[in-house]
Amino acid sequence: MNAPERSEAFDEREPALPNPLPRPAGEFEALKKAWEAPRGLSFITAVNNTYVGLWYVGTAFLFFILAGILSLIMRVQLAAPESDFVGHDLYNQLFTMHGTVMMFLFAVPAVEAASVYLLPNMQAARDLPFPRLSAYAFWAYFVGGLVFFCTIFFGLAPNGGWFMYPPLTGSKYSPADNADWWLLGIGFIEISAIAGAIEIIVGVMKTRAVGMSLDRMPVYSWAMLVFAVMIVIGFPAIILGTLLLEMERAFDWPFFIAERGGDPLLWQHLFWFFGHPEVYIIFLPATGMVSMIVPAMAQTPLVGYRLVVLALVATGFLSFGLWVHHMFATGLPKMSLSFFSAASTAVAVPSGIQVFAWIATIASGRMKLTTPSLFIIGFLFIFTLGGLTGVMVAMAPFDWQAHDSYFVVAHLHYVLIGGMVFPLFAAFYYWVPVASQYALSERVGRWVFGLMFVGVNVTFLPMHVTGLIGMPRRVYTYPVGMGWDALNLVSTIGAFMIAAGVALFIVDFARRFRIARDENAGNVWNAGTLEWLPNANYNTRSIPVVASRDPLWDQPNLSKDVQDGRYYLPGTATGGRETLVTSPFDAQPQYILQVPGPGWQPLLAAVFTAAFFLLLTVKMVLLSATCGVLAVACVIWWLWDTDPGPVRPPADIGGGIVVPVYATGSMNHSWWAMIVLMVVTGMVFTCLIFSYLFLWLVNPAAWPPQGTALPDGISPFVSGALYIVSAVLIAYASRMLRGEDRRSPRSVPVLIAVALLLVGGAAAADLRAQWQTGLSPSVHAYGAAVYGIVSLQIFFVLTTLIMGLYTIARWLAGRLDSVRRTTFDNMMLFWFYTVGQGLVGLALVHGFPRLTGGV
Amino acid sequence: MSGRRTGQVLLMLAGLIAWAVQFTIIYAVTSTLCGREWADATIIGVGSVHAVVLLTTIAALGVAALSLLQSRRVHGRLGETAAAPDRFISQAGMLISGLSLVVILWQGIPAFILPACA
Repeated sequence: MNAPERSEAFDEREPALPNPLPRPAGEFEALKKAWEAPRGLSFITAVNNTYVGLWYVGTAFLFFILAGILSLIMRVQLAAPESDFVGHDLYNQLFTMHGTVMMFLFAVPAVEAASVYLLPNMQAARDLPFPRLSAYAFWAYFVGGLVFFCTIFFGLAPNGGWFMYPPLTGSKYSPADNADWWLLGIGFIEISAIAGAIEIIVGVMKTRAVGMSLDRMPVYSWAMLVFAVMIVIGFPAIILGTLLLEMERAFDWPFFIAERGGDPLLWQHLFWFFGHPEVYIIFLPATGMVSMIVPAMAQTPLVGYRLVVLALVATGFLSFGLWVHHMFATGLPKMSLSFFSAASTAVAVPSGIQVFAWIATIASGRMKLTTPSLFIIGFLFIFTLGGLTGVMVAMAPFDWQAHDSYFVVAHLHYVLIGGMVFPLFAAFYYWVPVASQYALSERVGRWVFGLMFVGVNVTFLPMHVTGLIGMPRRVYTYPVGMGWDALNLVSTIGAFMIAAGVALFIVDFARRFRIARDENAGNVWNAGTLEWLPNANYNTRSIPVVASRDPLWDQPNLSKDVQDGRYYLPGTATGGRETLVTSPFDAQPQYILQVPGPGWQPLLAAVFTAAFFLLLTVKMVLLSATCGVLAVACVIWWLWDTDPGPVRPPADIGGGIVVPVYATGSMNHSWWAMIVLMVVTGMVFTCLIFSYLFLWLVNPAAWPPQGTALPDGISPFVSGALYIVSAVLIAYASRMLRGEDRRSPRSVPVLIAVALLLVGGAAAADLRAQWQTGLSPSVHAYGAAVYGIVSLQIFFVLTTLIMGLYTIARWLAGRLDSVRRTTFDNMMLFWFYTVGQGLVGLALVHGFPRLTGGV
Repeated sequence: MSGRRTGQVLLMLAGLIAWAVQFTIIYAVTSTLCGREWADATIIGVGSVHAVVLLTTIAALGVAALSLLQSRRVHGRLGETAAAPDRFISQAGMLISGLSLVVILWQGIPAFILPACA
């Protein structure tokens, strides 16, 4: 095998091998046994990334096909004017479901799913740090997604468009349950996506091969890190939006009803603050894939690694300054529009940097025209065209002409199919040999590419014209003589060409894909990164030291040495599943993470979570609540075995490096996850504050409305004091638990219990103060906004209550002490967050109306 | 993550953070002043909207320029023997700050073209 020229970050010092040969008898067998997947019916309780990742990708692809079939039905309807193939009501459901399923059930899950499979392999970790969380995310998505999709068969599918604008989706104009299916149905998908994002952030930062410092991290890991951070920042906006709209529909809290102080534009802001970054959330992982595939195909390191990382990070930031470009036609001041116009054009710069880096890499190597290469070239062509029309619609005056026309339909499909679907197909062809015994057929692959590439252009290129000559999107038919007939017929023919390409892919996949149990197809592309090491359920036999970005190119014996167990942790130190946690910057070994194995808990928790949301949609409140309680119970059952403590003394992983098998505080992986979760919750709350201030802005001289009394000035201080004292008690309990206080830690559970009473009392006191003024949440948006903030706080206090009681239970069960205290630390972090949120909420709700004096 | 590392990451991202703050302030202030019809007020003879955009843009440019200089300084001090991630972060810091300068300037340009609340 010829090694390509060495990458620029290669460290000339060949690392010494940490473990000698021969390996002790039984070491490899113990490792294999620890990672064995369950058999029989219990197979579905497997949590290994190699299984969950494949199921996840498979399910996402299933939704791609299902949503694709919906689009074919629409194209048949539009093939000829005045067609009565489907009626307008079904057509509304078809386009809503096509968009919703493609965005929420295919695109985001597909890229998340691919990373569940690929990231641990690429970073030579044995698994992601929270495999049960991945399993939970997958099952919630699988069960909930399928049930959600089935609504189309009963005429119950949402029909308000994938961005669900009120007032059309409010209860006045959409009284049936269709809209609720969207609002609640998408709820658990968001939870699932956020669970995955937390997993990815901690996985990228903490579980990499030794020596895989930030500057040697695969670009794909960088892309997934930025992707996950964007989900954490962007998804809370849509979570809050769906929550507010559902509250409006269920309880008549008028957040979006203009006659009662609400504003439909608030929804648009919340939706697009998520919705525009969403495009990049889908696109960045795809670029990460491209940055891995191009160097392998050109057999040369990626040109401009630093610039590509810069582009990923910059896109992550800038994409949050674009959301109003979806609202150019809403009548906002031109200056405001221009800010978004400027940011929308600026974001083309980092995208351009990446495109040039790939072209330069192709030019500096010898690109083989394999199927993945073809899909990459197709991606560059189609995405660049979509990008160009993107710069056009970023100009407000042009957007006013093209808005809601087929021009926009053409633009967004060029961007999304070019930017995500083509890279995904390239990725299928490229990485199938890692997961399967055989690669896919190159000959068939060329046909798949040809049909899809020609099909996409035949479908969508004419749509630019269809739109410019006036055809609006989302019309179920059109009269003869508008000049749209031939263009629509061509688009329909193109759509069926794409379908033929996808069908051919499925046939080839069914013929060639066989899950690799012991031996995969091998490094068929002579790629340089770690996912091409020999792998199995436990991923790699030992965890390598890497000295460059393309270790397989630069360390010729790496595969064999890894497989022989000559690198770190060649067996199992604790007898169970484990992976090596490394430091976030330098990737030096820190501790051994005891990874949980298979179990019914995440699966059941996921099923009950999905049932909770879905039953709520059909107003089966009691059954839904029961499922909610069962979901929480399953999560507690699942958590009970976590936080195992130091089950043995620090272990030698090779090369004289001894690391502990347990860590607490800021080094601990779950501490990181908790911090990320707090960013999520903080963003939900920030969006709620934004909503409150936005509603103030649109209600001159009515904040609060005339005749509304404010609670007395003392009550917020009482609530605030209770919050603060509860936090002080928890901080004191922490000291006590650590043994820094002279008193025995036996009082810890008592302190938690007292603090729980205080924090509960604080929230109750504030609710009572508002209630006593006679303020109603359903009369005016002011009341709705106030009770929105109070309700969110009550939810957090209730969660704190569950966490506090759980911590006390662990103490009583002897599972919490001065060393084994991760559970306590996590509870404490959440507690401080809840108190902080409570104090900010009090200041806003009580202080702001007084500050502005009703203006 | 140690305090030193947190500082490095913040310096690396300072330019883009400055853009995010600039963007949030100019959008929020423009919307509020125009929405409440407070935009007629002037600051040293300049309309309040334009003044806020101008001052915020200058401040953000300042932060990005400082982070560029500081990243360069750190990079110059590191030398060849420094750990690779440190060199990488300081180089990324220079690139990010440089791009941010362009983006921040671009972001403020509408204020030089358009009236406040048209």
